[in-house]
Amino acid sequence: MRYLDGVSRVVPGCLVACCVNTAAANGFSGDVPAYIEEAIPAGINHTYDGPWENFVGGGVATFDCNGDRFPEVFIAGGVNESALYINNSKTGGELRFSRDDSPVTRIKQVTGAYPVNIDNDQWMDLIVLRLGENRILKGQGDCKFSNANAGFGFDGGAEWSTGFTASFFGDDVYPTLAVGNYVDRSAPGSPWGTCSDNMLYRPQLSDSDQLTYSDALPLSPGHCALSILFTDWNRSGEDSLRVTNDRQYHRGGEEQLWKIDGRYPRLYSRADGWQSLVIWGMGIAEADLNADGFPEYALTSMGDTKLQSVDVQQAVEENRPIYEDIGFARGATAHRPYTGNDLKPSTGWHAQFSDVNNDTFLDLFIAKGNVERMTDFAAYDPDNLLLGTSDGLFVEQGDKAGIALDRRGRGAAVEDFNADGLQDLLVVNRSAPVSLFRHGGFKTPGGLLSAVGGNWLAIELNQKNGNRHAVGARLSVKTGNVVQTRKVQIGGGHVSGQSGFIHVGLGVAERATVRVQWPDGEWSAAFRVFANQFALITRGDEKVGYWYPPDDSN
Amino acid sequence: MIRFIIPSAVALSCCVVALITMVTNESAANESAAMANAWDDAAVKHHLEAAEYTGVLKHDRLHDLISQGKHLFSARFTLVDGVGRPMATQAIIPTKRKRPPRSEFARTAGLDANACVSCHNQPVAGGAGDFSVNVFVSEGFQLSDFDSTDPQFSNERNTNHLFGAGLVELLAREMTSDLHKIRSSALRTARQKLQEVKLPLTTKGISFGSITAFADGRIDTTDFEGVDDDLIIKPFSQKGVMTSLRQFTVNALNHHHGMQAVERFGARWTGTDDFDEDGINNEMTAGDVSALVAYQATLAVPTVKQVPEDWLRAADRGSVLFDELGCQQCHVRALPLNSLEFNDPGPFDAAGTLRSGEAGTDATYDLSLLNWSATLEQNESGQWMVPLFGDLKRHVIADNQVSRLGNELLSQRFVERNEFMTAELWGIGSTDPYGHRGDITTLSEVIEAHGGEARSARDKYVKLNENARSDINAFLKRMIIESAD
Repeated sequence: MRYLDGVSRVVPGCLVACCVNTAAANGFSGDVPAYIEEAIPAGINHTYDGPWENFVGGGVATFDCNGDRFPEVFIAGGVNESALYINNSKTGGELRFSRDDSPVTRIKQVTGAYPVNIDNDQWMDLIVLRLGENRILKGQGDCKFSNANAGFGFDGGAEWSTGFTASFFGDDVYPTLAVGNYVDRSAPGSPWGTCSDNMLYRPQLSDSDQLTYSDALPLSPGHCALSILFTDWNRSGEDSLRVTNDRQYHRGGEEQLWKIDGRYPRLYSRADGWQSLVIWGMGIAEADLNADGFPEYALTSMGDTKLQSVDVQQAVEENRPIYEDIGFARGATAHRPYTGNDLKPSTGWHAQFSDVNNDTFLDLFIAKGNVERMTDFAAYDPDNLLLGTSDGLFVEQGDKAGIALDRRGRGAAVEDFNADGLQDLLVVNRSAPVSLFRHGGFKTPGGLLSAVGGNWLAIELNQKNGNRHAVGARLSVKTGNVVQTRKVQIGGGHVSGQSGFIHVGLGVAERATVRVQWPDGEWSAAFRVFANQFALITRGDEKVGYWYPPDDSN
Repeated sequence: MIRFIIPSAVALSCCVVALITMVTNESAANESAAMANAWDDAAVKHHLEAAEYTGVLKHDRLHDLISQGKHLFSARFTLVDGVGRPMATQAIIPTKRKRPPRSEFARTAGLDANACVSCHNQPVAGGAGDFSVNVFVSEGFQLSDFDSTDPQFSNERNTNHLFGAGLVELLAREMTSDLHKIRSSALRTARQKLQEVKLPLTTKGISFGSITAFADGRIDTTDFEGVDDDLIIKPFSQKGVMTSLRQFTVNALNHHHGMQAVERFGARWTGTDDFDEDGINNEMTAGDVSALVAYQATLAVPTVKQVPEDWLRAADRGSVLFDELGCQQCHVRALPLNSLEFNDPGPFDAAGTLRSGEAGTDATYDLSLLNWSATLEQNESGQWMVPLFGDLKRHVIADNQVSRLGNELLSQRFVERNEFMTAELWGIGSTDPYGHRGDITTLSEVIEAHGGEARSARDKYVKLNENARSDINAFLKRMIIESAD
């Protein structure tokens, strides 16, 4: 599950256009996270590896599977077994995990995974994407899982799966699933121009009222997808399916947007305004950067990252998905390594928006790494940490933050693993150990290391009667004149998904007014929430509940 | 460096200011030091560097810092210092205006004072203010430039005195710490026993309701009373919504003077050293704010006036009546304090107010070094009894029949309009008028205005004869700020 972010604020045009911003002129003026790599001490010693088929993939799912609200991690291994790590971290302390030895979660040829509660019970389930049959692992509590393909009537197929997304359509109690597939290795001429179709699985009830996903619908043509995402691109209340495709292998393909409503999905076409874009699409991150309800998308690729913003007038009045690339204007292209001497283009994979310094300005993490030995692309290609600024720009701070390792990143998760309100970072690397960065505080402009940064909120949404975790809900968080939005989604990234608290940086605001647009479109009343808290919002409740992680005193 | 200061940026857009004001990113501290002639217009001749006063300050260093704070408290800030916020509102969160105001100074939305002491002056610097220096409190996010005293735009508030404020903050910190320990205890027990646990939220004899904790780490705040859900006692302002003198100081500097503190309005949070676009960078350093805090935190406690025998006898009778009526239930005579060590920054502020370790400015002021501390009584446990006549708790103070103190239309920072912090009565003999609007001229009137949770005590008071009422007056009017005489 991913939380997509946005912000709107009243800023007079004159400010941006005319006034001298002396601090910004001297570089990034905000807090830079001080990340500390501690995978091995934390107990995570894991490598995603394998031959050509494992050049892509390498995802991670983060979710709570034992009810303590601390996220566990499930990491793909490629030719190695996947691994579920139980989170034993202390609140605000060093990260600690222990590997679960259940054979159910130790699976070979896993490319990535996403948490999704399929059957609306108390426990999160897990979609495991594979080189071969995909699996649904049904959560049973205490981090126990069972293979549930048969139980859910789910045909895992035999494709090379590299993308997943889920959403709830209409009055559905259960989610619609979609799987993105890559190269069809069995087709003649493979791999060039032999892309598998993606698949759509709608929930149905059998004659005995059993949930089944036996109605699988191919989304043809496939163009070698590496990330897919159900997204409400035009604020219609109905999701469409955004697909980013790898030009390395498709022939005549392009980026895709599927209209999902109705029995048979159809592609948005030129006649609909869809413009051809051909990239080495690796990952999708979504954020509503200006909180206008229309999401922006970061699309990772080889070379520059795209940052797309929709033409709102065309979207509203004509239902036409016409996008402008604002990546260059915002400083978010991240097209080559920001440190070292390699001027060759970068290779981007997982992308995720989050506010890692709690200043209210969204930041963008991009996992980077050469495919294998592509000599036309940078060999040393460190992950990006593009910190957002007050004037809407992104400024690279990965080196200062301590994440510029010489590893080939793939999937990743920006997540608070130790419940301290600071976003930690896990990166799955190809043919190298997983990197686990604990957020160790901030490097302030004065050069001091401070344990405390901006204020923050962590919000958990719950509702009854299906869609328990409110997938599709939108949060509106207001502090003063600033409105930030977050959307609860499952999908995107690079074979990596998250579930759990929704993180919002509050800057210097001590409190916030939070409203929830529940997945069916109904808006909640305004909740008054104090900063630096874990807030629990349950649909129908008049007050916000609070959760406190255990510490030495409790 | 040559700086051309525009006499008034009032009628100019920020763009013009930017074009004709030559600025550098040097700190205001450096600039003012370089131009610290006695005849210069700057009221702040020397900005304090962050690390000048750190650690436990000994007597001389503490008094030196207090002296600097006193100077800043009385300083009539000027354009050269950074007075004015042409492109920022009075809001506590840095908030841009859409255009500069037509007039920078205005008694309504501010700038409404030249110095702290402009309002805090009754009977002396650090004291209260009369009706003429009321403050019009608004969020400053929307309609920030109201030019009306109509209560739909702002809450009109009288100026509180600050004597004994350091002890008040220390009490609040200890009470907050106690409440947090209770919360932790409830959670720990609930987790251990895997069951729901309910505990009273009582600290220093004051009940803040109860907390229910669940085995999964959730808490239920439904039964909290007079305190926010975060269980942080916020002792300052009439409303009880400010955590610390430091937070209040940063708010007030911006609101009343347009002097913006780096710790909230600086580049770290806003991306610029000149958020209000008045051409002055970094207007108030962390050290400046620390000096102001030190001055306020060390102001003497109010005292009890030495009076003639007839006044004394009446006051003694009034003291008994005070308790019999039930006034002391909220206006608690004294609260016990464990330590006189005042740490600045404090432990419970949030981002935007300096926190421990952020700027290398952590300092401890030992209030026992101050002469007035000898007047504090200690209980059998060695705790200092702070005679504040308050409970640091918010109460509903108006009802349908007695609604005079429920005269505001705007809630403030999540606190309902008819709910206020119990006014501490120490010093009340020196700080008339009364009521949060300062529109009540006698003690009798303000007591009769008590509704809501104070209704019972008020009704008993109303039934008293004139002599008894006079006795209560005699009791209350002995509580003075010493310098009044």
